Amino acid sequence: MTFFGDRSVKAEAARAAKKVALKPTDQRKTIKDLKVGDTAQIVDFIIENEPVRKIQAMGLRRGKKVTIMQKLGRGIVVKTSNSRIVITVDVARNVEVK
Amino acid sequence: MNEIIKVALAGNPNVGKTTLLNHAAKTNLKVGNWAGVTVEKREGFLNYKGYDIHFIDLPGIYTLEPISEDEYIAYNFIADEKPDVIVNVIETTNAERDLLLTTELLELKRPMVIALNMSDEAHKLGIEVDSRHTSELLDIPVVKTNGRNGDGVSELLDAIVESAENRRVPKTVRYSEHVEDALGALERRQHGAEIDKRTLLRMLTEGDGQNEEKANLEKFFRKDINSIIKDERYAFAHGFYNEAFRKRKVTARDITDRIDKVILHPILGFFIFLLVMFLLFKISFDFSTPFMNWTQGLIDNFFSPLVLSFLSGVGGGKWLPDFFSQAIVGGVGFVITFVPLIAMIYFLIALLEMSGYMPRIAFIMDRFMHRLGLHGKGMIPLLLGFGCNVPAVMATRTLENKRDKLLVMAMIPFMSCPARLVVFSFFAVLFFVHPAVVIFSLYFLGIAIGLLTAFFLRKTAYRGKLSHFVMELPPYRVPRLRTVLLIVWVQVKSFLYKAGTVIFAASVAIWVLLNTPPNLKSQSDSAAAYVGKAITPILKPIGINDWRISTSLIPAFLAREIVLSSMGTIYSADVHKKNPEFHFLPALVEQAKALGSATKESFMSLLTPGIQTLQTDEGNRNLASAIRSSFTPASALSFMIFLLLYTSCLATVAVMAREGGKTFAFLFLAYSFVIAWGVAFVVYQVGSLI
Repeated sequence: MTFFGDRSVKAEAARAAKKVALKPTDQRKTIKDLKVGDTAQIVDFIIENEPVRKIQAMGLRRGKKVTIMQKLGRGIVVKTSNSRIVITVDVARNVEVK
Repeated sequence: MNEIIKVALAGNPNVGKTTLLNHAAKTNLKVGNWAGVTVEKREGFLNYKGYDIHFIDLPGIYTLEPISEDEYIAYNFIADEKPDVIVNVIETTNAERDLLLTTELLELKRPMVIALNMSDEAHKLGIEVDSRHTSELLDIPVVKTNGRNGDGVSELLDAIVESAENRRVPKTVRYSEHVEDALGALERRQHGAEIDKRTLLRMLTEGDGQNEEKANLEKFFRKDINSIIKDERYAFAHGFYNEAFRKRKVTARDITDRIDKVILHPILGFFIFLLVMFLLFKISFDFSTPFMNWTQGLIDNFFSPLVLSFLSGVGGGKWLPDFFSQAIVGGVGFVITFVPLIAMIYFLIALLEMSGYMPRIAFIMDRFMHRLGLHGKGMIPLLLGFGCNVPAVMATRTLENKRDKLLVMAMIPFMSCPARLVVFSFFAVLFFVHPAVVIFSLYFLGIAIGLLTAFFLRKTAYRGKLSHFVMELPPYRVPRLRTVLLIVWVQVKSFLYKAGTVIFAASVAIWVLLNTPPNLKSQSDSAAAYVGKAITPILKPIGINDWRISTSLIPAFLAREIVLSSMGTIYSADVHKKNPEFHFLPALVEQAKALGSATKESFMSLLTPGIQTLQTDEGNRNLASAIRSSFTPASALSFMIFLLLYTSCLATVAVMAREGGKTFAFLFLAYSFVIAWGVAFVVYQVGSLI
């Protein structure tokens, strides 16, 4: 049995809807909007789905500074502390930064 | 009888768990510098201070919240098997990330030891940790280790024994006041039963609507309960990191970042990848060819005459020398001459794996792969397939999505492995002016059929959207020669083992069938010929119209190399060698001289830009020309294509059945036969016209 894996879809949707109401998703700056060489700080996660929970466990957490090392196709290499993580655009647009 | 201590090695991926185990238990388990080398439970045993320590090496996990199959294996073991001691291996350079798993493991309140691995790398990056202070904070042993040289491993073993003897459990993890109050209330309701924190937390999150504490917490934090707990764990890990670790400023820029500027460059990176692949082939061909010739000479001009002169002294009929020169030298010996080629390929693949380049190929190639509906991470199993299809199929466990997994699995058997290369290198040299071009084309044909298969499957059985892609890129590391040579040795040993068992057995079986019934005038009346002739009608349209070849193909289902050993056995019966005078000492000296010049030739060949390739100048000419008589260039090409595409390898079919299901494996086997036959048919028919 997974620990966090079985949260209800409804709750997720409700939360996502609330956030959208607070600030439209397209106005929030995400990792997807950063350029190679940019450094920014993670402030929030727009949708906390499975891949987002995975990258959190891999070290991309609230308050962490990230640097964009390379972008290629749908892949983005993000560096935080001493680890480098490849994420795809569909994951990157759920990570809000400032 | 010693007491047994069951120890689980748990930690994030690529933190060096297996390397530590190799040091501790003197095992030779496969290691590499990328996340996901270990995808199954592996074991090591050690007798230490009167205990039998039983290590279980687990696949790396970032959290006790598994997603992919390899992660489930680790999670289930920790949760269900209750090891006596958990060794939590932490990559000191990435300690903050790793401490999430540590926090979750601490919640279990089981005897635990922390190994702060790669502390030397951390020191260079300005990260310092006081292991004694950390140990005091958690009340469990904390040991600094170094997987590269094995420093700290004996301290780790002492700590494991101490932890098991005293059942030293860590201090209870404490979260924020509100959460602790809620957990306290839950615990009181259990009427004194002892419950670990992780179970309590699960009761809190999984409780139904009656769960007042959950509702209160969610109201207070305005988050759902899973987010609350997760954030509490992150906060604990962060707080603990700040307490135990110190970071000083270092000015030196990270070498990995500098290398990545070039390697991961959108344009340069792609060309570097092509260059690396070219070099992989060039070096493995050119460097090994002189050694292959030497091995062949050693068998033909030294061992074979040595044993034959001994046998002729013993007497006992003609069958013994015949058996020796046909089944042993012709069959097993023929395959053994390819050991240098196999060793060289494994050496180079091990370099790729140890350096940290492997997952970067996945990143570079995702650009093309995802257009075809394939996962970039799927590149890693595919690349491993060039080494051996079996571990490559196992490596698909790291893919999170069943669909991606089966897609990649259906491509892997088309990636040509060294067993096929052995066959190609023999036939390509025999029939073509530019063998390297032919072999390259075969490799590309395999890749193309693999891609077409994936494309076809995606349009039919495995529709659906391409899933996201998350993968870690390790820092570059200079491979240690010792480790690389050990990996090569393990592979060569298993090849020699195969030669001594399966290949030997197949050669003997073929030889016996060739000589059944006894005292035949012609081999074409033997049982072996009978079997081969029975299946020749199926193979005739692809140009194989000789029982000697079709007979050889049957045992080759066990492993492709057997096609050569079987042909060697059959054809060497036709070759009548004269037995020259054999003198032990001069022959030995000659072999030593030959080894010297082979070594020189190998290194010289690396200086030329193109691929020289596999020109077997001397050696078993008789055998080669006997085999040559059964083929035309067109039928030789079609034969190689057939062997490339048809999954003629029992081990691969078995591992596919285990990982993807029996139906999947069986359907795939049938499919690969049809494809192999079809392509070979077209090539042979067209080739015969030219």
